[in-house]
Amino acid sequence: MTEETPRTNHGEEIAPVADIHAKRTISIIWVVPLVALLIGGWLAYKALSEKGPTITITFESAEGLEAGKTRIKFKDVEIGNVTDISISDDFSHVVVTAELKKGTGPYLTDKTRFWVVRARIAAGEVSGLGTLFSGAHIGIDPQTEGKPQNHFKGLEIPPVLTEALPGRHFTMLAQDLGSLEIGTRVRYRKVTVGKVVGYRFDPDLDALKIQVFVQAPFHEKVRKETRFYDDSGVDFALDTRGLRVNTDSLSSMVLGAIAFETPVSMKASEQAPENFEFRLYPDRESSKEKEYFLKNYYLLYFEDDIYGLSPEAPVNFKGIKVGQVVDFSLQYNFKKKDFQIPVLVEIEPERIEQIHGKLPEGKSLIDEFVARGLRAQLKTGSLITGQKFVDLAFHPKAPPAKVRYEEGLAVLPTVPQPLKQLMASVENIIDRLNKVPTDEIGRDVKAVLESVNDNLRKTETMFGEINEEVLPEIARTLKKLQASLTDIEKGYGKDSVTNQELRKTLNELEEAARSIRILTEYLQRHPESLIRGKGDTE
Amino acid sequence: MSAKELGLVGCHECHLLSRQQRPASGQAAYCPRCGAALHLRKPNSIPRTWALLTAAFLFYIPANVLPITITTSLGAKQSDTIMSGVIYFLLHGSPEIAVVIFTASIFIPLMKLIIMSYLLVSVQRKSRWRPRDRTQLYRIVEAVGRWSMVDIYVVTILVALVKLGVFADIEAGPAALYFAAVVVISMLAAQSFDPRLIWDALEENHD
Repeated sequence: MTEETPRTNHGEEIAPVADIHAKRTISIIWVVPLVALLIGGWLAYKALSEKGPTITITFESAEGLEAGKTRIKFKDVEIGNVTDISISDDFSHVVVTAELKKGTGPYLTDKTRFWVVRARIAAGEVSGLGTLFSGAHIGIDPQTEGKPQNHFKGLEIPPVLTEALPGRHFTMLAQDLGSLEIGTRVRYRKVTVGKVVGYRFDPDLDALKIQVFVQAPFHEKVRKETRFYDDSGVDFALDTRGLRVNTDSLSSMVLGAIAFETPVSMKASEQAPENFEFRLYPDRESSKEKEYFLKNYYLLYFEDDIYGLSPEAPVNFKGIKVGQVVDFSLQYNFKKKDFQIPVLVEIEPERIEQIHGKLPEGKSLIDEFVARGLRAQLKTGSLITGQKFVDLAFHPKAPPAKVRYEEGLAVLPTVPQPLKQLMASVENIIDRLNKVPTDEIGRDVKAVLESVNDNLRKTETMFGEINEEVLPEIARTLKKLQASLTDIEKGYGKDSVTNQELRKTLNELEEAARSIRILTEYLQRHPESLIRGKGDTE
Repeated sequence: MSAKELGLVGCHECHLLSRQQRPASGQAAYCPRCGAALHLRKPNSIPRTWALLTAAFLFYIPANVLPITITTSLGAKQSDTIMSGVIYFLLHGSPEIAVVIFTASIFIPLMKLIIMSYLLVSVQRKSRWRPRDRTQLYRIVEAVGRWSMVDIYVVTILVALVKLGVFADIEAGPAALYFAAVVVISMLAAQSFDPRLIWDALEENHD
């Protein structure tokens, strides 16, 4: 305190001196930690507010997945990432824990699907090529409808996403999958209008149910009568009508496709509703055939070979297909000690139009027809391919027969193949020719001639005796007669020309018969040689 | 005996010792030779250091939690924090690099902040305990401060070098900014601290 303080006259201090020091101000430097706090707080808030739900997904394997790296993407936008991968308690699968971004909560329901996106080539699409380099990511198909949940079972096969697209799903019933698979295109007038979205085996129907999606506006083209068929590229058909080739674009040749067509009909057609069931025809040709629901099965027994007959070979009646061969087998009949071939055929009676009357329900005219000579016969449809078909025709001259029933199946009588019949008659002729006793005939003729000769000689001696005694004129006449008789002997005797020629002729006839037999046997074994000629070696 | 007690003050810039007169309010003392402002001690040293230190601590958190590099290699994005980088090098057979990164980027900045906090607390409590060692600590902090920038240099060089498009690309993550802030602010904090305060406690209780 160096300054002079005011004092009273007595030297007392009037008042204490006020302290002087720096103003209590908050230093501006505190703005720095304040800003740091603000930034830190904002970062923390952002991190917390962006934190979405944590979910677990189970997969068969974690191939390509990596904790901390693998993303969950929707429409290729990252919406979360995998934070942990562990193996389930029973070691049967892997459990992937993932954190999703905020706002994804409502999309996590029991219908939401997850799958691993890897590079794959399926149904003509190379997808997920990016994952070759970046590693797999997890795809999501968010669904708002359903119960919310946080545990999911991942799909092993990526689904074909169609939920959000306008269109309709249909179900195909097929015997086999053919070249189809998930993602295979559905085509209408060669335009891709949909996809195969899934398939499963239905044990009750013993058939595959193929789920197909047709997008708008083409789903309106699917009518109840629409025929779906496997439109897989090349369609070779080799049957009684010869060789037919149907080709499509190269892509569907490789990848396969389902196509559909609505047959033109006089009836107004109705649109097929969602999940309507269709039959999937194996090819376009069969899809065009009218569908017949009534089928009668008949059994035919053939005794001769059925070369060239195949299942689905047509059964024709008067040249029109009325059914087809279903199956055949080879049997040995111990009673007859012979082989027989039962052929099962189905006949669709609806193919035969009924006019001027109607067959009563459940009745069949087959007995009547068989009585009138209806017989089944194997015929060669195409000489080139040797394909056979079953021909039903009336054979009035056939031996009478009746319809038998074997284990509930009607057995129709059959007649041998036409070529067989021909060959049977040829063989018959040859057999008869064989039986002709040419040698005996020759011997007989000789014997006859010899006896004639003998008699003549006797007559000669008798006449000689008379002549010598009675008439030399007569004797001369008789000599002349003798001479002429010798001539006759020369002509018809043992070594006569006539006799020899006759024998030669008969020998040649025998040879001809033999070669006919060889020919028929060869033809029977190689009917195609009629066209192609005899092969080089046998 | 200190310059303060003798009423002398040293200029921070030209180190001229001059006689200190208490300036009237609204006035300040200036160096008669170079014209720099004269203070007996760095003004507001303790609160100022505290403020900067707090800011450094706050920035230290995002610097370590957020990714410092975002590596894109063949489409795969990977973001690494400082610690995950250390772990990566440790597990992939480069413990030396791991040690360097750990020391330069995690250990030293944190030690700096802790040492500064300790010095401040000890000064405020007028501790007389081993002032020489505490001064030594301060010296280390000041000397080592700039080396913490190594991490930032590495990141910036990598970002500039690795630009191979689809094959490889490195981007600096947000942590780089916060880490740089930690380093700069803690250097400022070390500067704003006046080590003479360590010795003041001894002088006051001397008599």
